[in-house]
Amino acid sequence: MSSRLYGYAGKILRIDLTKGKVHEEPLSRKMARAYLGGRGFNVRRLYSEVPKSIGPLSPENKLIIATGPIAGTGFPLGARLNVTSKSPQTGLLGDSNVGGHFAAEMKYAGFDQIVIEGRSSKPIYIYIYNNEVEFRDASGIWGLTISRAYDAIRRELKDWKIQIALIGPSAENLVRFSGIFFNVYRPAARTGLGVVMASKNIKAIVVRGDGYVEVAKPRAFETLVEEIEESVYSHVQYWPRRIMGTSRILLAANRLGFLPAYHFKKGIVDYAYCVSGERLAIEYNVKNRGCFSCILPCSRFYVIREGSFAGTYGEGPEYEALAGLTVRIGNDDLNSALKAINMINDLGMDVISTSEVISWAMELYEKGLLNKRETNGLDLRWGNMDAVFKLIEMIAYRKGFGDILADGVIKAARKLRKGLDLAFHVKGLEMIQADPRGLKGYGLGFAVSSRGADHLRSEPFIELSDNPEIGRKLFNEPEATLRLGTRGKGRLVAYYENWCAIVDSLEVCKNIAENMEILSFDKAAKLINVVTGLEMSASEVFKVGERIINIERAYIVREGVRRKDDILPKRFLREPIDRGPSAGQVIELNRMLDEYYKTREWDPITGIPTIKKLHELGLHDVAEDLQKHGIKLSKGLTYK
Amino acid sequence: MVKKLIVDPSKCVGCRYCEMWCSFVHEGVFSSSFSRITIVKDDRIGLDYPIVCEFCEPAPCVKACPTGALIKGNHGIIIVNEEKCISCGNCVKACPYGAIKLHPIKLKPLICDLCEGREPVCVSKCPTNAIRIYPIEEIDLSINEEVFDQAYAHALKRHKELMKRWGIHVK
Repeated sequence: MSSRLYGYAGKILRIDLTKGKVHEEPLSRKMARAYLGGRGFNVRRLYSEVPKSIGPLSPENKLIIATGPIAGTGFPLGARLNVTSKSPQTGLLGDSNVGGHFAAEMKYAGFDQIVIEGRSSKPIYIYIYNNEVEFRDASGIWGLTISRAYDAIRRELKDWKIQIALIGPSAENLVRFSGIFFNVYRPAARTGLGVVMASKNIKAIVVRGDGYVEVAKPRAFETLVEEIEESVYSHVQYWPRRIMGTSRILLAANRLGFLPAYHFKKGIVDYAYCVSGERLAIEYNVKNRGCFSCILPCSRFYVIREGSFAGTYGEGPEYEALAGLTVRIGNDDLNSALKAINMINDLGMDVISTSEVISWAMELYEKGLLNKRETNGLDLRWGNMDAVFKLIEMIAYRKGFGDILADGVIKAARKLRKGLDLAFHVKGLEMIQADPRGLKGYGLGFAVSSRGADHLRSEPFIELSDNPEIGRKLFNEPEATLRLGTRGKGRLVAYYENWCAIVDSLEVCKNIAENMEILSFDKAAKLINVVTGLEMSASEVFKVGERIINIERAYIVREGVRRKDDILPKRFLREPIDRGPSAGQVIELNRMLDEYYKTREWDPITGIPTIKKLHELGLHDVAEDLQKHGIKLSKGLTYK
Repeated sequence: MVKKLIVDPSKCVGCRYCEMWCSFVHEGVFSSSFSRITIVKDDRIGLDYPIVCEFCEPAPCVKACPTGALIKGNHGIIIVNEEKCISCGNCVKACPYGAIKLHPIKLKPLICDLCEGREPVCVSKCPTNAIRIYPIEEIDLSINEEVFDQAYAHALKRHKELMKRWGIHVK
């Protein structure tokens, strides 16, 4: 049997900015088998190479970018990548997943993973062309917005084929929720990774390659792709997704009553159509755009055709941005929402966290807890977009009241000594645009997610089916797949967390792997073998997901996270939703958490993985390391 | 019959699925740099444009080749004789559309062969039908402008451009 690894580029690029040195390391077969790629590769490296004492903005923190074995092949919807670091926003695990064309180009340049460590003494951008790495002066582009910097770099290098990862002015100003943007419109925005890049004095990472990716079994690969193509093209969600992308969720969320309207005070609004994906499709969108090798190109290029923002254009928005700058801040005007999203992106910030800090301030303002003197004269009533535009600039450039919000909602609340209960975050990461009271599995997912309040770590979409038969079949509990049910949610979330970890490591899009249920677990296992030649069994693949979840948990446990941190903001636990189809609901978190830890075989009192579980997953070094840090691990647990 | 690839940039989403399968069908591996079709992109302004061989008559690439390695074969397709080719890159420079590149390893020109008579893979794999293959049949739409008025002449001129994009070859 050939020992060659197909699919993978086979090399890791390590860049030490302090020493100005670059070297290549081979990708080991063992690493590929145990972690598959992307998210798995990154968290394994972060755990080993970024120990507890390291500050997120210190030169010792590392910025790690990795993709999987599929990127760069003709497999549809399979060219994403993960960026990982210690998060300057949460102080815990920083991790964000993004599409676009960067991952494939990285493979063609010859790398599965890029590890950046140290700090450059002056602003630079890194230019990787095949196996050559050049540090180029970035003093001329430092301070530029995302779109301008993108243009400037393309012109300077005289090459339109390059792929660029870049940061905006907000990251340079250390706004804690700044992301890394891939070619203008594709941000890895969550957990503040742009700030890590800025702290290392890197404005951009440019990659270009002339190499190729070879699959282990070309004929079988072709057949598998044909099967996937057929399932995608014949899927009932094909056209809605292609026409609207995720912006279609807004009207659906309004129908089910889990919108984050007015900072999660209302689950429904009466102007949902005015700010919906449906309206965007009819009045704004001009063409579709796709990530690399995608056959369900769901991104939309829009143009504002009238009003004071006429001529504004861009890609998107996805649901998170759309709901964040409309209903969450009480704004019913789509034009100004698009303009605001455009501004936030171009300045380089995470639109989800930005929408939380703004809507949080608006709720305090409404309650009389914030006055105009404190907001530098801004009238922060719901939906006042003139004030929002000003505030966005003030956050990005850390001016006045914006400087306080720029540290994120929890730090802002602590600094102002108010609104702590209204700061909607988990573990320091601001909450996404769905009310967990109307989606209990998602709620549990937010609470236990390894990076903070985020749905993409588990995405238990199946509970939206509201079909008890599915729950009975999959989890032996009909309530598991009822969105307002609580029993069986621990099993539901644990299962989908494992699956998402596999998907994020294969770097396949969750559209086909999750929501459309096209890339099933069996197909994914087959895909891995056809592409890599690793010959992994289905149970071995499944263990990869569990291993990644456990090492991520170990990473945040080492940083001090315990069960008490797996919590949701009080509003969701105590205040029932006021009206709509989810009226009267709160989230019964504790009961679901008990079941979750039990399913995970973690200590239910501390939320720490047991020795037995870590050993079973081959994480002996992790168990030992945790104990070295004085963390007591239970041997194993017996449940009644 | 002479056939030609027709592209519709308003449908192209820039996914480069065509590049992947062009590379795979011809070279057995996946690579953008091994593909005979190229998608020009500028994400900021939403530019996605497929560059394909336009099967020029006469063909500047054939004329530019110093060793006679390029010849026009059946149906107007350029045939590359790799043994005669000296990898000088003159054909790359001569192509007015930038549709030729050199294979990064073999250093021989990559030129569209319309998949040698099968349905071109860029056409069959395109998720949005942005690339199609059409027979070239010239249609005579020349009119005497005096018959109608300026408005008609202007409209027809613009319509001819559109028809060309549909794949109807207008004289």
